[in-house]
Amino acid sequence: MCDFAHDGEREDDMDLIHEAGAAPDKADIRSYFDPASGTLDRRVFADEAVYKLEMQNIFARAWNFMCHESQIPNIGDYFINYIGEDQVIVVRDKQGEVQVLLNTCRHRGNALCRAEQGNAKSFVCSYHGWNYDLNGDLIGVPGLTSYYHKDLDKSKWGLAKAAQVDHFHGFYFATLDPDAPSLHDYLGEVGRIGLGLLVANGDVVIVDGVQKNVIDCNWKIAVDNLFDWYHVQYSHASAGIAGFMDIAAILHPNNQMVMFGEYGHAISGPVIPLDKQAEIDAISDEDKLKMAADMFDNERGPVPPPRVSFAKELLGPVGMRCMGHPNIFPNLWVSTNGTQLSLRLPRGPFETEIWWFTVLPKAMPEEIRKKQILFNAHLFGPAGMLEQDDGENWSQSTRASRGVKARSYRHNMSMGLGHDDVLTDNSTVSRVETKISEHAQRWLYRNWTDWLTADSWAELKANHAPLPKGRV
Amino acid sequence: MSQAVATPARASGVDALPIQKRMELQYEIEQLLYAEAAMIDGRRYREWLDLWTEDCTYWMPIRRTVTLSDIDREFTRRGDMSFYDDDKKSLTMRVAKMESGSSWSEDPPSRTRHIVSNVRILSTEGDEIEIEAAFLLYRSRLNTEESSWVGRRVDRLRRVDGELRICAREIYLDQTLIRATNMSTLF
Repeated sequence: MCDFAHDGEREDDMDLIHEAGAAPDKADIRSYFDPASGTLDRRVFADEAVYKLEMQNIFARAWNFMCHESQIPNIGDYFINYIGEDQVIVVRDKQGEVQVLLNTCRHRGNALCRAEQGNAKSFVCSYHGWNYDLNGDLIGVPGLTSYYHKDLDKSKWGLAKAAQVDHFHGFYFATLDPDAPSLHDYLGEVGRIGLGLLVANGDVVIVDGVQKNVIDCNWKIAVDNLFDWYHVQYSHASAGIAGFMDIAAILHPNNQMVMFGEYGHAISGPVIPLDKQAEIDAISDEDKLKMAADMFDNERGPVPPPRVSFAKELLGPVGMRCMGHPNIFPNLWVSTNGTQLSLRLPRGPFETEIWWFTVLPKAMPEEIRKKQILFNAHLFGPAGMLEQDDGENWSQSTRASRGVKARSYRHNMSMGLGHDDVLTDNSTVSRVETKISEHAQRWLYRNWTDWLTADSWAELKANHAPLPKGRV
Repeated sequence: MSQAVATPARASGVDALPIQKRMELQYEIEQLLYAEAAMIDGRRYREWLDLWTEDCTYWMPIRRTVTLSDIDREFTRRGDMSFYDDDKKSLTMRVAKMESGSSWSEDPPSRTRHIVSNVRILSTEGDEIEIEAAFLLYRSRLNTEESSWVGRRVDRLRRVDGELRICAREIYLDQTLIRATNMSTLF
């Protein structure tokens, strides 16, 4: 017998008859994640109405990663990406500026670019031939005189554009919301440290080839997993047994740091202990570069080389010690010690496209570059020695959120709750240094709640979680 | 020219052979490919590894949807990102992973079927033969997951002690976005 039909021993039992697809109100949304117990209602993974709100209140509002400048170096180069379910063309226009244009003709909505990357002189719609300049201006309409009687103002029918476009060291982002704060302020210190890991060894280029696959999972399951150093030893045990890498050696379970960033950014994972960092600081940059040359020769797997002193300006003293995984809210993971980026693109509540970019310093010696590319190809992506198993877990977790009974049981992400104090040393970065924990997952869903319950950027700015202080 | 386009058989080696010899070679190659498919589909991975030479390479580039004007950039190139860029050591690791008892993507194991066809001998040179084949790899996983991959394989075969071995494989998928949770199987 199902006990939930009984006389309401749990207050939220009535939620089980909540009509699927009905828009949740703000009280509903606030009930999904409970910061006091660290538990999460599984409806966040399975409810169409929640998903629609996410598209509106998170993706259409946030700064979304588009591409790196090295992917579109020449005038007319374009790369197709998404802001939520809005497909966009990221293109270098005739002035050399990067434009983010909605990939939909203003006439009847057809996609202008049907390739996923390439070079164009202009964007001509394959339906009726409307022609747009690289900056989105409508420059040609077949039959403007003969059929439209010149009664169409081309200046009013240019392509829709992102409200703001900006970049961080060549990594381009866009937002559809004109009221969004600047990219710099949006990222905040933790977001800038997270992206800073990509350029900590100097200017970078994206290696040609973005791996793309679709996993039957909710996008948030993929995102919260990147903070999760608890699953590594079990989910990825087979990669260790097979000799791909020493899983235990990368974990550092008792030397973990979680950094909390405004608006939901976070970094979670190993931290270099202070005494060890002092030893690293004593090494000359010249010797550090020599160590970089040997990073793949360790029999236990690659050992990330110590960062050169140049990185300190970018990362700060705390960021220099960070070996963890940053997520730029909502869906950009900086991975593999700053040599990979993974985008998790929602495709409905039950599907997520996973895109992998490999990012390498321009100055990286050819021999190391070759080894890093091979390592990255073997590590992640659909055939990766680690990621093969992640997809299976995420898709089964998502699937279980669909069952009427199963979804009445909340996810538990309480690990470490109430056991750590936010450090109040000289650093301005709100953080804990602790063991493996689920602080970052809780921070993610707490901020997710703020985004979903705010009706505008003004409201989000006024009502979002302050950086944690004291005991967390 | 795009690598998706079937290579015209070059007038080297094989064309000089009498028809009887060519048929025998064609038969031998087809039997090797069918036996190989049976090994993977029968989960006899160690036997499958033995088909590969010690210096072998196994490569699947990333394919992109591009316009005809950009068609030379349809596939990533050697040295850039790929889905597989393997040698004997990493292929052996993939097999060891499947045997580990904790390879969740393959335990319960997938059910696969490799349909190999359109086998053509492209060239012969010394001990090596270059061939191409079309394949359809169907995978059924758990109760409801189905994936299929279709594409073209270009193999280099080498005669070692009288037996044909595979010394290189290039796998050109006909999909761009991989519509599958993972690629935990062998192509």
